[in-house]
Amino acid sequence: MQRDDTMTKNVRNLLLAVLALLPGAALAGPSGEALAFTCAGCHGTDGSSVGPSMPSIAGMDPEVFVDAMKAYQADKRNATIMNRIARGYSDEQLKDMGWFFAKQRLHLTPQKHDAALAARGARLHEKHCEKCHENGGRPGDAGTLAGQWMPYLDHTMADFLSGKRDWPRKMKRKVDAAIAEEGKQAIPALIHYYGSQQ
Amino acid sequence: MTDIKRRDFIRTTGGIAMLGATLGFPHVALGAPRRVVVVGGGVGGCTVAKYLRKLDPNLAVTLIETKTSYTTCFMSNEVLSGERTLESITFGYDGLRRHGVEVVTDTVVGIDPVKKTVTTAGGKGFDYDACVVSPGIGFKWDAIDGYDEAVAEDIPHAWNAGPQTKILRRQLQAMRQGGRVIIVAPPNPFKCPPGPYERASQIALYCKHHNPRAKILILDAKDAFSKQGLYVEGWTKLYGYGSGNSMIEWVSAAAGGKVESLDPTTRTLQAEIEEFQGDVVNIIPPQKAGPIAFAADLVDGDWCPVDKRTFESKRHKDIYVLGDASSAAKMPKSAYAANSQAKVAAAAIINRFNGREPGDPTFVNTCYSVVGEDFGISVAAVYTLNAATNTIEEMPKSGGVSPANASPEIRKREVSYAHSWFKNVINDMME
Amino acid sequence: MSTMPRRIASMVLACLWAASLGLIITPSAQAETAEPQGELMIEHFDPATGQRIIPNERCLTCHGDEKEKTDVRDDGTQVNLFVHREQIEASVHGEQRCNSCHTTIRRVPHREAPEVIVGCVECHRDTWEKFQNDPEGKHKRLKVVNEQIDNFMDSVHAQPNKLDESRTNATCYDCHDAHNVGELGSIQRAEKRLKNPEVCGRCHEKQLAEYRTSDHGKAVLEKGDSKSAVCSDCHTTHAIAAPESDTAKRAITKNCGDCHEDAQRTYFASYHGQVHRLGYTNTAKCHDCHGGHEVKDKDDPTSSIHANNRLENCKNCHTDANENFLSFWPHGDADDMEAYPTLWWAKRFMQGLIYGVIAFFWVHVLLWLYRELVDRFQGKGFIENLDRPDIVYFRRFSVAWRWIHALFAISTMTLILTGTTLLFSHTGWAKAVVSFLGGPKMEGIIHRTAAIIWLAIFLTHLTIALTNIWRKRKTFQWFGGTSMLPNMKDLQDLRNMFRWFLGRGPRPEFCHWTYWQKFDYWAPFWGAAVIGSSGIVLFAPEATASILPGWVFNIATLIHAEEALLAAIFLNSVHFFNVHFRPERFPMSTTIFTGAIPIEEFKHDHRLEYERLVAAGDLEKHLIKRPSRRAELAASFITSVLIMAGLALLTLVLIGIATAPK
Repeated sequence: MQRDDTMTKNVRNLLLAVLALLPGAALAGPSGEALAFTCAGCHGTDGSSVGPSMPSIAGMDPEVFVDAMKAYQADKRNATIMNRIARGYSDEQLKDMGWFFAKQRLHLTPQKHDAALAARGARLHEKHCEKCHENGGRPGDAGTLAGQWMPYLDHTMADFLSGKRDWPRKMKRKVDAAIAEEGKQAIPALIHYYGSQQ
Repeated sequence: MTDIKRRDFIRTTGGIAMLGATLGFPHVALGAPRRVVVVGGGVGGCTVAKYLRKLDPNLAVTLIETKTSYTTCFMSNEVLSGERTLESITFGYDGLRRHGVEVVTDTVVGIDPVKKTVTTAGGKGFDYDACVVSPGIGFKWDAIDGYDEAVAEDIPHAWNAGPQTKILRRQLQAMRQGGRVIIVAPPNPFKCPPGPYERASQIALYCKHHNPRAKILILDAKDAFSKQGLYVEGWTKLYGYGSGNSMIEWVSAAAGGKVESLDPTTRTLQAEIEEFQGDVVNIIPPQKAGPIAFAADLVDGDWCPVDKRTFESKRHKDIYVLGDASSAAKMPKSAYAANSQAKVAAAAIINRFNGREPGDPTFVNTCYSVVGEDFGISVAAVYTLNAATNTIEEMPKSGGVSPANASPEIRKREVSYAHSWFKNVINDMME
Repeated sequence: MSTMPRRIASMVLACLWAASLGLIITPSAQAETAEPQGELMIEHFDPATGQRIIPNERCLTCHGDEKEKTDVRDDGTQVNLFVHREQIEASVHGEQRCNSCHTTIRRVPHREAPEVIVGCVECHRDTWEKFQNDPEGKHKRLKVVNEQIDNFMDSVHAQPNKLDESRTNATCYDCHDAHNVGELGSIQRAEKRLKNPEVCGRCHEKQLAEYRTSDHGKAVLEKGDSKSAVCSDCHTTHAIAAPESDTAKRAITKNCGDCHEDAQRTYFASYHGQVHRLGYTNTAKCHDCHGGHEVKDKDDPTSSIHANNRLENCKNCHTDANENFLSFWPHGDADDMEAYPTLWWAKRFMQGLIYGVIAFFWVHVLLWLYRELVDRFQGKGFIENLDRPDIVYFRRFSVAWRWIHALFAISTMTLILTGTTLLFSHTGWAKAVVSFLGGPKMEGIIHRTAAIIWLAIFLTHLTIALTNIWRKRKTFQWFGGTSMLPNMKDLQDLRNMFRWFLGRGPRPEFCHWTYWQKFDYWAPFWGAAVIGSSGIVLFAPEATASILPGWVFNIATLIHAEEALLAAIFLNSVHFFNVHFRPERFPMSTTIFTGAIPIEEFKHDHRLEYERLVAAGDLEKHLIKRPSRRAELAASFITSVLIMAGLALLTLVLIGIATAPK
């Protein structure tokens, strides 16, 4: 009996030693997951934010993520805190974090919105925005708008309109057209439309 | 390739992968689930419990906490100003239970690192494979003559949120018009470095509306403090700081701000140079690790030394110490720091269970302070481990505080970010 | 491991195996089990390369929008961004992803105005590399595509542009609308054919303008007749060479023949065509007379081959051309009795002659061979007596005749070799020979030099022969045993030979010259007349045309070739057999080079002459000693070389005949 136990233990130890060498043994720097976990305090667990000013980044396009972080690093986006944080990461780490968030499913929190305004926003979106922000602005290669936090969208559009953030290619033309069509209500309508989505 | 083939492929490979996973994680193959006992239901304890379950749903995680709910210290200054209620910063543990964490209401009285058992005041013993201790801070009651735990019922520290916060709030509300509030700020290191100054700010905000002639005096044991420039900017803008009629006054240690004793009956503080008498006195005493850290022999000096790659105690194997009690320089003692450390510890524990080397850790701290109406400020840092010196260092070029003289729009946004931050931290640690 | 029980060792191995599998496969398995509902962002990326997968639908959101076919660039320029969804889907690239070709597009929407960079070659090569041995023949069309890529790479289009060396003269998508490449037999392909001139004309504007006026151009561009020639029919699609290059000229002339088969066949029968077919561009090619892009019917007054313009056209090369050139038939067809009766009859006559002579003599050869073989089996016929070796020889040829024969043989062979290269210009050997000789011009010089030597020898011989006859005019018997003139005995000999062949009589006995020797002798007289006269005509076309009509060239070309062919075959087969190869003589007779024949052999073949000489007591005058051993060896050597050369020529000629295109 005694002998058997010892042998089992020896085998187990051997296995442990071998397995230690196998999965994820050779680590060079923190993993994408470890890096992404540090974002959760502000952007919610795995990137699904419950704080209205903090955008959800779960399920985000990984290249849009890296673009955003690099823009923050270079002070090309109007930041409060993200520029200071983004500069703490290498290109490779940003990429790893991007891939982590790309693997997460976005969990949305219902938001209060004006249904009539949202309906007008839906029309504007279809006409001016859908080509880039396809599927009503669902997570995609032009970022995540659908279900995104409205205060965050509000900040973002304010930055675009005040010139504090560079317009992506063609976007200004489209936004101008939407404003020409719907006046001052255009931006709120769009934001209510995106906020209305679940 | 047709769909059917693809599905078959995934099914087959999935099966093989599960076989691989089963064999790859010996604890599943070789018996009962690993047990982790978490001592303390604050940010560190809750976060580590949640993330342990998230990373390995097979773990048995037990969290032991004296109280049945957790009242956050962060944002508790807004309770003082009346911006929010105490209830709005108090949270139950049902969220953690939903994650499969067993939450036990009891007080831990001892940890046996040899038998690997945690014992409670309720007389229970909990065996563990790994134990996480996140006890928060304790106070050095003997630092200021005349101030102790009993006096604190009348002259509150309010540095652990809850009833103490209520006492302070009540005293503020009851203060005579034009009265004087004295805040005694502790020496480093202490929990929430910008906290005393945000407290002064929030009290000033309250007074601005309800007691406009009142004064707030900060007696400091230090010559400088966190986010000082930004606070001064905010106070100047909002509370007339620097003018003859400033609502807030800060006395540095060099100017005689270090308090030596208290006369509780007259609310008179003896500082190094002169005496100060206040209508409301809030003494934030010097701090050390929470009592259970001492009971479990995890402390060296005031704080618990840890291996900063894993946050495992340097004194006892398989016991991990998180948050304010740990000696985690250069990370501050903050909620976000504890949250960040907890995830590193959770990953380290799982690696240990699976016979793997711990990965390289990474940490972040972000901390918001609301100085007043539409005036928020922040500090942030990204940290990495310097394994050679076992210190946690800031990544060069990153981090820092909000820019000086930022636009009102930015300051306003930081208030909204502060409130969003609060929701997400709570969500990430216990929801 | 040696101390470890085997059971445990195998467990370790099994675990290692399982763990490594788990390591490799776990991520995909987790994605499947943990997230069953909906798509994850990560699924829009290729796990192997990390590259974004951009569905075509995503591109077509903007590029397929009928309502917004254009857009304005940041610099204000308008850009057409529309692509036909249906067209792409129906094209051979319908299953490709847009950014498989538009490789610079990694993001949608594009972050900046994208450079249009498409690399066709690499992809087609790689795909073919992968599928060339595909058992189901998938992508088998890529074989052709890759051949065309190679052609393109060697073409003038793939050369660096002289004005902008950073780019080539043209590249794949300058001509191919990759969004609209149809399968073989599809409507797209037919449409593409009709569009071909317009596509080429985008760069080659002048040529397109000329083409529009041509019969081809009118048919294609005005009537939509896809059967008429478009640019690529003549210039090829990919192996396009610079128009001034020989490669281009050859290719274009060859390609004309793809449609105009008769014209090409008759062109190749002409001297122009023969030289051209050897691979040289010295002589007139289709476009030299018909014009390149402005090809028009001969009835069109603006056509370069219209009667009014034709002489000018000839003068482009034949600067001294006169009116008689106009009656030359550039596409004269000896098989077309209706249009060219003279030519037709000339050909029939010459062919009758060739077939008649060859047939007769080959039968003669075969029967003779048969008889001699039978005789040998029966121990009859002329058999060398080894006990009595030849010591006494009969002197048959004087030195002059021996030299004349040698030079005649050599010049004839030279003429055959150089002449048949044109006649059989379709063969590889002809091209090799001409190339070896230094091209058609040098070949012409050699041919004509040999012709002059040949003619000079012929005339010299005639002079000597007539002089000899003149000297003996008193005694010379015109139809006697020593005369070359045919007589009745020759006819009887011929009849008796056939009887002997068939075993119905004895071998006839001959005088000084046998009938076959007389035929060999007289044949060049006929040949010299026919080949010589036609040769002179062809030698000096301008001079000839000053007195003779142009169609004489057609006749001359025909009979020159046919007669030469007859001579080449006859000499190198029948003559060789009669003199060298029949069993009594095999392997050769060296008499024509030593001038001496063993007396026994002479007795056997020319018994009547022998007996006449014996009777007249003149034999001794003709007897000589056996030639020296070195003279024998030299004669054998020269004879061998000439026989080999003759047989080689015969072989080449037979190859030429056998491979002649119909």
